[in-house]
Amino acid sequence: MLWDKLGSRTLYKHTRYGVCKLSYHSTISLNINGQPNILEVDHRWTLLDVLRDLLDLTGAKKGCNQGECGACTILLDGKAVNSCQVLAIQTNNKKVTTVESMNHSHGLHPIQQAFLENDGAQCGFCTPGILMSVKALLNENPDPGIDQIKEKLSGNLCRCNAYGRIIESVQIAAQMMKSFSEHGKTHE
Amino acid sequence: MSSSKIGKSEIRRDLYDKLTGQSKYVADIKLPDMIFGKILRSPHPHAQITKIDVSEAKKFPGVHAVITPFDIPDGKIAPDLAILDKTVRFVGDEVAAVAADNEYIAQKALSLINVKYKILPFVTNMNDALLPKAPKIHEDGNLVGGKPITLERGNVEEGFGKADQIFEETFSTPAHSGSALEPRAALASWENTSLTVWKSSRGVHVDRFNISNALKIPLSEVRVIGPTMGAGYGNKDETPLSIICALLAHRAQKPVRIELTREEEFIAGRKRHATETTIKVGVKNDGSITAIHASTLMDTGAYLSSGPGVVRRSGQGALYLYRCANVRYDGYLIYTNQPTAGSYRALGAPQGHFALESIMDDISKNLSIDPLEFRLKNHVGIEGQPGERITPNNMIIDTQPVEGGLPFSSNGLHECLIKGATAFGWEQRRQKSEDSGPIRRGVGIGMFIYRGGPGSKSTVALKLKSDGTIQLISGIMDVGEGSSTVIPQIAAEVLGIPTEHVIPILGDTKLTPEAPITAGSSVTFSTGLAAQKAASDLKSKILDSAAYISDHEVESLDLNDGSIINKYNNLHIMSLGELAKSDPLKNLSAKASVIPGSKDAIINSFGAHFAEVEVDTYTGQVKILKYVAAHDSGKILNPTLAINQVEGGISQMIGFALTEEILTDPLSGITLNANYLEHKSPTIQEYPPIQVIFSNVVDPIGPFGAKALGELPSIGVAPAIMNAISDAINIRFTDLPATPDKIIDALNKNC
Repeated sequence: MLWDKLGSRTLYKHTRYGVCKLSYHSTISLNINGQPNILEVDHRWTLLDVLRDLLDLTGAKKGCNQGECGACTILLDGKAVNSCQVLAIQTNNKKVTTVESMNHSHGLHPIQQAFLENDGAQCGFCTPGILMSVKALLNENPDPGIDQIKEKLSGNLCRCNAYGRIIESVQIAAQMMKSFSEHGKTHE
Repeated sequence: MSSSKIGKSEIRRDLYDKLTGQSKYVADIKLPDMIFGKILRSPHPHAQITKIDVSEAKKFPGVHAVITPFDIPDGKIAPDLAILDKTVRFVGDEVAAVAADNEYIAQKALSLINVKYKILPFVTNMNDALLPKAPKIHEDGNLVGGKPITLERGNVEEGFGKADQIFEETFSTPAHSGSALEPRAALASWENTSLTVWKSSRGVHVDRFNISNALKIPLSEVRVIGPTMGAGYGNKDETPLSIICALLAHRAQKPVRIELTREEEFIAGRKRHATETTIKVGVKNDGSITAIHASTLMDTGAYLSSGPGVVRRSGQGALYLYRCANVRYDGYLIYTNQPTAGSYRALGAPQGHFALESIMDDISKNLSIDPLEFRLKNHVGIEGQPGERITPNNMIIDTQPVEGGLPFSSNGLHECLIKGATAFGWEQRRQKSEDSGPIRRGVGIGMFIYRGGPGSKSTVALKLKSDGTIQLISGIMDVGEGSSTVIPQIAAEVLGIPTEHVIPILGDTKLTPEAPITAGSSVTFSTGLAAQKAASDLKSKILDSAAYISDHEVESLDLNDGSIINKYNNLHIMSLGELAKSDPLKNLSAKASVIPGSKDAIINSFGAHFAEVEVDTYTGQVKILKYVAAHDSGKILNPTLAINQVEGGISQMIGFALTEEILTDPLSGITLNANYLEHKSPTIQEYPPIQVIFSNVVDPIGPFGAKALGELPSIGVAPAIMNAISDAINIRFTDLPATPDKIIDALNKNC
């Protein structure tokens, strides 16, 4: 039987991903949106699979699964990456931030607020990935010009092409965050 | 008085959930016990399946169901499209499907299915497909209908006879993909004989009908739910996916979810029809047009899909945009062994207008007439085309007429040309200095006409709830264009309440009345009119009820900001919530259906786009320096959403003009670039400065004066950009996309 030939530990696992006969798996420790997680992951799974199927964090989307569209963008140790191009086992002891981290009990993150008020989306499928790229941009450069905004978001495809509204939303978000920090308010 | 919602940029209704990652798209939905499906696809462009052996696949641990064309009901999704066919007609055509515990196992099971094919000769070029000895792809031959559709007004031969000069040219446009970011997905679940399907949809009622028809089960046993949709640009309802999913779920006795891969979405989704248009125009030396004859060959691929509508639409520009007594359009729809083409934003209009506006541009320059002047002189005016009305007086006029003698309900094309030219600086930008370096600048115009909004019968139901909010129930889907915001705005305006107090319930066949698809830029007009009427009926009922309870005369009452007031002295009488609670047995609700359209006038929308480009003659790259889009869509109900639509449509179609093409290998029928990297779509880097202007010519018929908008921005882009490139380097490209290599080749030839 094909399965018996692969690996010495063959277990059955009931996961939200389905009933898996795991041939290779490992345990990883992963901080997601500030929460520690101990997870048992199949070596084939990507970080995107873990977020969406294991942890029900469906904000990050599977647009191409090939690292070409950016719909799966999340922050890995603060850096914007395509989570479909990161194997789950590569993320041991790392910190993951997803769009779900932006929701606060007291309201929207300024970036989200700026997008809300400036219609920064149409169908919304690219939006979680875009917000993560914007977060990475503004963390690094709180006062970006148009060229810098375009470069940092060039890996996030928006097929509805809401780019005009997106650029304006980012510019306004930058202004909002600058004035917040000037007034002593902080947002993660 | 409560402030008007019409013309107000109300915040997009579902944007909050999209921003917080809470919106659920089909692939985000999980059901207990759910398993996963995958589809086996043909490696051959044309073949007969003689045998399928699934025994190994069925045995593989974790596989719950396998279906083949030999063991499912022989239902049809369309006259030429079976659920699973025993003949495959393009590389990627569906052959069989499996459902298993996870996608890895499903993928493995596919590889264990043994298919015996009898390979048939194939044809991928539409001209070759018309040759007498070409392999027949469907029973009745490769030319759909056996002959072209022919539409004419007047007599083109006479018209050409009157011309001082005749111009003729052939233009070709590629197949390209809308490649919506959300790949198609479907989730099916059975409870005894009742089926529930979640799918990316632009029309849950139409989907429900198609599913019920194909599976041959009663309509009452089928429920279709359209969750948030990651766009479709016209075509997320034309494939067998949801039915394959339903069959697997039935056989496995478990819910099944199928998500297409990006590659499958490119190949087995739908793309824009490739075309070849030959257009012939006769003009007098003073620039007036005596005859137009356009003939379009259109490649529909392996199946018909929405082909007939698309080939029809490709001729409308030639037939109706320029004032001319003698016009003719011949449209040929041709089968090939290529992936199927379907509806993609504005259907055949971008292809037709590219040919039309390119040749008109050449003509104007040949006659030494400014391209703007030429269009101002010749565009169709509000009185319509010369000729005699044919449609009987008591019938609603088609939004794609051919006959003359019909006025438009409104026509702001003149305003678009003038306002657009002013904002663009047409006069100044035309007079550029002599370019000596490798960078050449040029300017171009593209104007266009499109159906203005009347679609199928639309129904809206409104219900006053005890908390004073209004439930708005409609079977339409918001596909990302904003109808879930704009339709409530209309109801809110009539009822004098904040837009947020109108709660839409859309996209679920169990909860909503029958509705057409969100397509053809018709929802604002058609569903908007229904909403307006229902709201007006509900207002009467509310005021009658309030008059009775409060012992006021009904004529003295009005609605304002969520309350019933005395309109003479502005005294607050009661809130809507209080009214609703006062008589819980009374059902304050209203429902209205409209069959939208007019018996007296054509309802069409118009526009004109202006582009300034820079062509780098060393690299062949084109940069758009300035873009002005002037649109006549009547009263703009929500400016911000409208601007987003226009900007989005323009940016999207820059790909059509300059970079996108689905490439098929003619020797094997294989799609060569089924991925985002090689089918190059515009990124944010390519986004040009776009200015959007609206004519603000209010339409007398549309809801609060509105007309169609959604697809129109897609039409003017290739014409404006290609005319600008022609102006810049004096070379007319007749073949899209104008990629850098083509530009450099052409420049080299011209040296």
